[in-house]
Amino acid sequence: MITASLLHNALIVGAILFSLGLVGILTRRNLIVMFLCAELMLQGVSVTLVAWSRYHGDWGGQILVIFVLTVAACEAAVALVFILQAFSRTGRLDAVAWQALREDNLPRTVDRELPAGDTAPPSWPRLSPAGIRPDSDDNQALQRDHV
Amino acid sequence: MSPFSPTTLLVLVPLLPLLGAICTILLGRRLGARGHLPAVAGIAGAALVAGLLLVSTVNDVRGDGNGQATRPVEIIAELWQWATVDDAHAGGGDAAGTPVAPGISALDSFSATVTLRCDPLTSTLLVIITGVGLLVAIYSIGYMHDDPGYPRFFALVAMFVFSMSMLVAASNFLLVYVFWEAVGACSYLLIGFWFTRPEAARAAKKAFLVNRVGDFGLAIATFLLWMTYGTLDFHDTWAGDTVVQGILGHTRLADAEGFVGGAVGTAICLLILLAACGKSAQLPLHVWLPDAMEGPTPASALIHAATMVTAGIYLITRSAPLFVGCPGALAMVSIVGATTALVAAGIATVQNDLKRVLAYSTISQLGYMFASLGTGSMLGFTAAIFHLVTHAFFKALLFLGAGSVMHSMGGVIDMRRFGGLRQVMPVTAATFLIGACALAGLPPFAGFFSKDEILAALHAKAHPDQHHSDHADAHAADQIAPNRLATPFRQAAFASNRTALESDAGLERVGLDALDHPSTWQTLFWMSLFTAGLTAFYTFRAVFMTFTGPKRVPTEAGHHPHESPTVMTVPLMILAGLSLLAGWVLFATGGLAWFLAATPSLTAPAIVRTAVTHAFHVDLAVQGSLAAAIGIAIAAIGHLGKRSDSPQMERFLGPLGTLLENKFYFDAIYKALIVRPLEGLSLLSALIDRNLVDGTVDAVARVPLSWGAVVRRLQSGLVQRYALAGVVGVLAIVLALAWQLRP
Amino acid sequence: MDQVSVAPAGMLLAGSVTALAAALWLLLPKALDTPGTRRLGALLGAIAILGFAATGRTLGCLGADAVFLVVAGVAVVSGLATIVTRSPVYAAIWFALTLAGVSGVLLVLGAQFLGVATIVVYAGAILVMFLFVLMLAQPSGMASYDRVSSEPLLAAVSGAVLLGLLTLSVGRLSASAPPACCAMPSRAQAAAEAVRPQTATPSQAAPQNQMTDADEVARLGAELFGRHLFAVEVAGLLLLVALVGAIAVVSRAEAADGDQGRSRR
Repeated sequence: MITASLLHNALIVGAILFSLGLVGILTRRNLIVMFLCAELMLQGVSVTLVAWSRYHGDWGGQILVIFVLTVAACEAAVALVFILQAFSRTGRLDAVAWQALREDNLPRTVDRELPAGDTAPPSWPRLSPAGIRPDSDDNQALQRDHV
Repeated sequence: MSPFSPTTLLVLVPLLPLLGAICTILLGRRLGARGHLPAVAGIAGAALVAGLLLVSTVNDVRGDGNGQATRPVEIIAELWQWATVDDAHAGGGDAAGTPVAPGISALDSFSATVTLRCDPLTSTLLVIITGVGLLVAIYSIGYMHDDPGYPRFFALVAMFVFSMSMLVAASNFLLVYVFWEAVGACSYLLIGFWFTRPEAARAAKKAFLVNRVGDFGLAIATFLLWMTYGTLDFHDTWAGDTVVQGILGHTRLADAEGFVGGAVGTAICLLILLAACGKSAQLPLHVWLPDAMEGPTPASALIHAATMVTAGIYLITRSAPLFVGCPGALAMVSIVGATTALVAAGIATVQNDLKRVLAYSTISQLGYMFASLGTGSMLGFTAAIFHLVTHAFFKALLFLGAGSVMHSMGGVIDMRRFGGLRQVMPVTAATFLIGACALAGLPPFAGFFSKDEILAALHAKAHPDQHHSDHADAHAADQIAPNRLATPFRQAAFASNRTALESDAGLERVGLDALDHPSTWQTLFWMSLFTAGLTAFYTFRAVFMTFTGPKRVPTEAGHHPHESPTVMTVPLMILAGLSLLAGWVLFATGGLAWFLAATPSLTAPAIVRTAVTHAFHVDLAVQGSLAAAIGIAIAAIGHLGKRSDSPQMERFLGPLGTLLENKFYFDAIYKALIVRPLEGLSLLSALIDRNLVDGTVDAVARVPLSWGAVVRRLQSGLVQRYALAGVVGVLAIVLALAWQLRP
Repeated sequence: MDQVSVAPAGMLLAGSVTALAAALWLLLPKALDTPGTRRLGALLGAIAILGFAATGRTLGCLGADAVFLVVAGVAVVSGLATIVTRSPVYAAIWFALTLAGVSGVLLVLGAQFLGVATIVVYAGAILVMFLFVLMLAQPSGMASYDRVSSEPLLAAVSGAVLLGLLTLSVGRLSASAPPACCAMPSRAQAAAEAVRPQTATPSQAAPQNQMTDADEVARLGAELFGRHLFAVEVAGLLLLVALVGAIAVVSRAEAADGDQGRSRR
């Protein structure tokens, strides 16, 4: 059993997480980030469910969260496969790349002007020196420069 | 019901052609060149049954009366109840505040039964219809050979025989109206049989539209009859144990006050006359019949010469008791008829198309019959039917002869393009000559006797003192039977009847009734006599132009024009024999008049009173024959032995010839007065429709279109925007709810 | 809760945490690394550990509220970072931190099993899968679509309004002393017990005292495999179907890709 104030706090945390996830899923165009945001919304719901479950002393909420976990796992498996498919079709992880459902005579939505600040090359994290220095492979560096 | 009881026979007459038509329609394509079989078999069966029915009816008449049959003879076959409407008050019985008595409510329920009635008039016409129909159908086997619509033609002919039989056998004005339309439809379909030809299609449309005018009259007449009499049945029916008087039933005929005169009666009669004018091609609705010759010639012979066009004669004869109460309407019938006879005969004198000559001749002869009907005497009615019978024979003969000529000449029918065909087709020439003699009224051919009777009827009317005093103490003003007066309309109708009778008793006649004057009838008589001369002239002009003179055939006929096949010439010979003998047989025995006198409609006291002893009028016969002889003589002077394309006689006529050639400008007048204004109205309507109505609709349609043009930008195909829109919508709803549920 | 005894311990704990953070920062490789800073870091680390050890005894007395505030703050802040970070890899790592925070919240709420399960399943399995996919699919450089949001203003306003509404409703919940909606489940529970008295377990009879018991996981397991056994079976089937479906889609797509690849080559 938890106190009412803890319940309220937990509910507010759940609401915040849910709202953040919602904003993310509405704005971010990267498919994987959108997916992360969906998981964030699920987390908000889970917190809310557990809070209520504990407040009422009823197992139902926690059981439901267990099933939410299960379904989220399934969803992740299937959705990631689809994201990979989409990527192999367009070469991008962009939700805006898929707009074939628009009206016939509407022009295709294209990216607006990119913000100037972001055009600078990103700063790379430095890896701590450990072991021997790997051989420099330009091609590989090009592929994986961002990680 | 024994298999040969008159009732069965009566039902079989229309049923057999109907079965034939249905079989032809269903099996027509499979039968191919034998497509005529079901129809011909059906019509032949109907002809046989009609003959048996005639014998049976004659026996009935003979059994009832000794020579002078006054008791009406009828056979009624009630088939089924078609429609029933309870409480169909005519004229609103309770509007006047007078309660409708219980016994009378039965009168005010409308019921339409499919009932057939056979009386001498019907059985005579049935024999004519099925008999001529059979001959024409047999003739068509040869004439329509190799036509792509072969089965269709026979289906239509059988359908027509069915409709026409039903029309003359129906015992109900509603049923009469139905089959009046049905024969009109068959006529329309047969005129437009070769519907790919624009002239045929136009002629069919014209016939249909002009007939609508007459049909409109019949419809209004039917409404008025029901308003006035409370029933549409001809025969008496029983409602419980009270008799409901049919319009032409025995009880009403026996009742001296049974029929409405005055304004309502005259209106009914004039409307029926309008209907008859439409169907029988009388002035001013005659314009469709000449154009109807675009149809196949056998159809013209059957429908537009022998049977359907006589439906008007039948209807007026059937309604004779209604007419005799309205002398003005009767006089109108005669005036219309005699005028039509004269005008049509005049036009026929200058026609060069053989079939058109015959068409105008048909109009003219029908005018004769109308003139005869209009006398309103027993002699007049029987003479009209007599002429109808003989005319059916000789005009069918002439049409089939013309068809034979046309068949042989490769479709050419213009008399100026051929001549001397006597050498090419002797059988056709001989039979055509017999028909022409009958039409011209030469003794002893059929037309002579019937035309003589018509002239006699007119003469009797024109000189009442010489023949018979036909009206005097005719109408005893009885108490008006109460059960007819259930509604204010009927009360008013019969009251006007009474005043009309009273004014009849006085010397002064008003309105149309003033036309019923001996001087009118004298004029009509002389017009008819002159028409007889014209008839002989144009008939023999056609004969001379076609069959005499140097032999010439058009190129369409090929190198060896030949006589028509036997299947076509045999009907010609049969009809020629009938044209030769029928008039003499029927007149000399007086059988037809005796037989027809037993028709219920003709047993009305006012008609029976005018019956005269059967006599041959030598003076009139001489006058008629003389007129015919003069006409033939002039035709012989003009055309006998000459090339048919030589200068015509109308050049001597001057402006009258121009008038005749243009058919009295009827078509032009109709075009200017009716067609052109209607076309202008249609054009205006089309403009309004296209611009105003369509413009409004388009404008209304443009509103959502413009909204859509704005809103469709939302359909960007971007899923995230859709989701955002969903979220915003949900938020809006939640906010609205929160605002409403605020504490 | 005893404020007097808790406050010094809390301050000590906060100091230890700060010291630990500074020590770690000093120890981590940086541009301005010197041996002095490293030594300072090690010293601070030792002090922090001592401080933790000193406060460990009083940790049990520390209010659940304070712990809750910390873990909830972690969850919320890292959740915010998840959605605002440009790089998807960083977003995934921030999400992992969110999961940690959420797991803490769940633990504070007394759901031990779920707290652990969240870490294990999400952070351990799902998130790693995400990272793998990112490795496979992320193109070189920062993609343009990671730098531009779609409709940021409208979405932000919507999210804020939604949060406001939710907070409002939670606040109203606390304003009305016994919330009307909270009475409902207990009534339902009472009714359920009235219907089925013989199947009532002791835990249901006195749940409030025993929810925090050590056998909480056991009770949850009994509940899950007792009342919800069928649902568990269905969930297992769902997992199987998802597995098979994912493999099927991938294999077909790879066959198509292989064809394309061969033809390209």
